[in-house]
Amino acid sequence: MVNTHMAQRDWRYYLNRGIIHFILLFAVLFYLLPLIVMVFTSFKTMDDIRAGNLISLPTEWVVDAWVKAWSSACTGVKCEGVEGYFWNSVAIVVPAVLISTAIGALNGYVLTKWRFRGSEIFFGFLLFGCFIPFQVVLLPMAQTLGWLGLANTTAGLVMVHVVYGMAFTTLFFRNFYVNIPDELVKAAHLDGAGFFTIFWRILLPISGPIIVVTIIWQTTQIWNDFLFGVVYGSGETQPITVALNNLVNTSTGVKEYNVHMAAAIIAGLPTLLVYVLAGKYFVRGLTAGSVKG
Amino acid sequence: MAALDIEHVRKVFGGKTEVLKDINISIDDGEFLILVGPSGCGKSTLLNSIAGLEDITDGVIRIGGQDVSRKSPKDRDIAMVFQSYALYPSMNVRQNISFGLEIRKIPKEEINTEVDRVAKLLQIEHLLDRKPSQLSGGQRQRVAMGRALARKPAIYLFDEPLSNLDAKLRVEMRTEIKKLHQNLGTTIVYVTHDQIEAMTLADRIAVMKDGILQQFGSPQEIYDEPNNIFVAGFMGSPSMNFVPTPVQKEGGMLVAKLTTLEGTTFSLPLGDRGNVLGKYEGKQVILGVRPERISNVSADGNPEDSIVLKSKAGVVEPTGPDTLVHMNLNGIEVNCRVDPDYKVKTGDPLEVIMDLSKAVFFDKDTEARIV
Ligand SMILES: Nc1ncnc2c1ncn2[C@@H]1O[C@H](COP(=O)(O)OP(=O)(O)OP(=O)(O)O)[C@@H](O)[C@H]1O
Ligand SMILES: [Mg+2]
Repeated sequence: MVNTHMAQRDWRYYLNRGIIHFILLFAVLFYLLPLIVMVFTSFKTMDDIRAGNLISLPTEWVVDAWVKAWSSACTGVKCEGVEGYFWNSVAIVVPAVLISTAIGALNGYVLTKWRFRGSEIFFGFLLFGCFIPFQVVLLPMAQTLGWLGLANTTAGLVMVHVVYGMAFTTLFFRNFYVNIPDELVKAAHLDGAGFFTIFWRILLPISGPIIVVTIIWQTTQIWNDFLFGVVYGSGETQPITVALNNLVNTSTGVKEYNVHMAAAIIAGLPTLLVYVLAGKYFVRGLTAGSVKG
Repeated sequence: MAALDIEHVRKVFGGKTEVLKDINISIDDGEFLILVGPSGCGKSTLLNSIAGLEDITDGVIRIGGQDVSRKSPKDRDIAMVFQSYALYPSMNVRQNISFGLEIRKIPKEEINTEVDRVAKLLQIEHLLDRKPSQLSGGQRQRVAMGRALARKPAIYLFDEPLSNLDAKLRVEMRTEIKKLHQNLGTTIVYVTHDQIEAMTLADRIAVMKDGILQQFGSPQEIYDEPNNIFVAGFMGSPSMNFVPTPVQKEGGMLVAKLTTLEGTTFSLPLGDRGNVLGKYEGKQVILGVRPERISNVSADGNPEDSIVLKSKAGVVEPTGPDTLVHMNLNGIEVNCRVDPDYKVKTGDPLEVIMDLSKAVFFDKDTEARIV
């Protein structure tokens, strides 16, 4: 009696497991399919693409499309590939991420440990920044950049991203620091430490998780930005997202799907890389506030 | 040169919560002040105000005669042990202790000597390379002490620094703190919930309740002449007995009447106190008498001031050095402290001597001490 019951449970258990795994596998494939198609296509020749179907393996693996996408594909009038724009993006992302993270950390520190009259209201207004749609700031920002003489420059784009990202980075750091006991700062005060010493020696060393979260978030946001790039950048300073768009839309002759796919993967690679390298800290950082030591 | 004067200090949080109400405390250079009071009465807030970590709403704080009310914490020359320890999580124990010295630009060798001295004193030498997260509660507390003791400030502020230690270590540390105070002669303000710590360490005790200073005086004053029922009940363990007693004239003398459960009535002669208690004739007052003053052996006080009470023993609680016996007087359970050799069981006839030389009387309505 007991035995058959157990056996039945085992049998059901494995069936359930099997169904769950099948569904998960299906979901994984579903989400990976576009990437697979892109990778396969980017390694095919044009003839191969015309002959086969989307998910067939390349008959012959060639890197021609990658080379062309990187160095000689036409993006509008120029035919120099996406290389220059890739480095444009790097030149925008690196300073913008570092500056906005640093500002966010300082803001969060002041808003939690050096509260001033109205600091909560100040924070409230800053939060507003997280909900302002890109479109709303487009024109005023263009005007501002013009006044500052930063229109169509990399520095201008960096500034736009810093200003826009500040609301998010401040939110992250503020919520992290608010869980750090105030007594730490008080103790450091009595030890004779000042504003920056306390930040540098006491708070920053325990901010690892939230720094990682902020950097991943900002890198992804800024690297993937298209709208600011297309509006505030001109030919020389445009980021890779804009170049990718131009490349795909340059319609002289045949559409080179393999080149398009290669360029698209190049454009997406850095964010993918950041997530793979630091993803586990991202998850850890998001929950770090709840497990203060 | 570090007397501490707290004059008319008020602290209001957020414009409405008044946490400190007109506090006045003044101690001399080198005195040991103990702050006691129930949880939430404002002890930590007062310490923070002295340290300058909270701005006071009103009043003046003087250190060594100098008004520091508006000075920043680092210019007040104060070291503090926080109730929550507040150890720097990213630094190991050695760095935690040396941080303050480093900031104050003390030479490296001097810092090392100092850290080693303090670590030895607090028995944490083997923990110097650990991070705070790798320490037990008691160990963290000792590191927090170490961080304060490594410096030689004008005033030490200790917020329940021994509360997490086991009984043995606690007694050891208490002795160390007493020694330390005697050697350094630094002014200390110390918060505790422990009666024995309070009585043994203090030169002065300040008793607080709901942000109001109830009494400020020497330990003996607080113990023998409490200002009101709250102070009397707060200091001393087991607590003082409070018995509502009618006051009447008997044979031209003022007496207080005590009635046992069996209905026997005793008259306590009020003697000199009668002068003050005269206006309570025909009314009730609250008699306050500590358990150790109701005993089987006569305390060597004035025999005229003692009275023998006969009744039945209630609950009997042996504590080791002495035994606590309950007895009912005027409908109130009264604690008597008798010799452990005085064998008595619940229900047995009980004969005890109440020594009235240290007894006090409180007004029933205001709860203030009359005499
Ligand atoms: N920042 C603050 N804002 C508002 N109220 C506060 C603040 N800090 C403390 N309080 C209140 O002030 C009162 C006194 O707090 P405090 O920490 O001084 O008590 P305490 O005597 O040290 O108590 P304990 O013995 O539990 O440590 C409490 O009622 C507390 O809720
Ligand atoms: Mg406290």
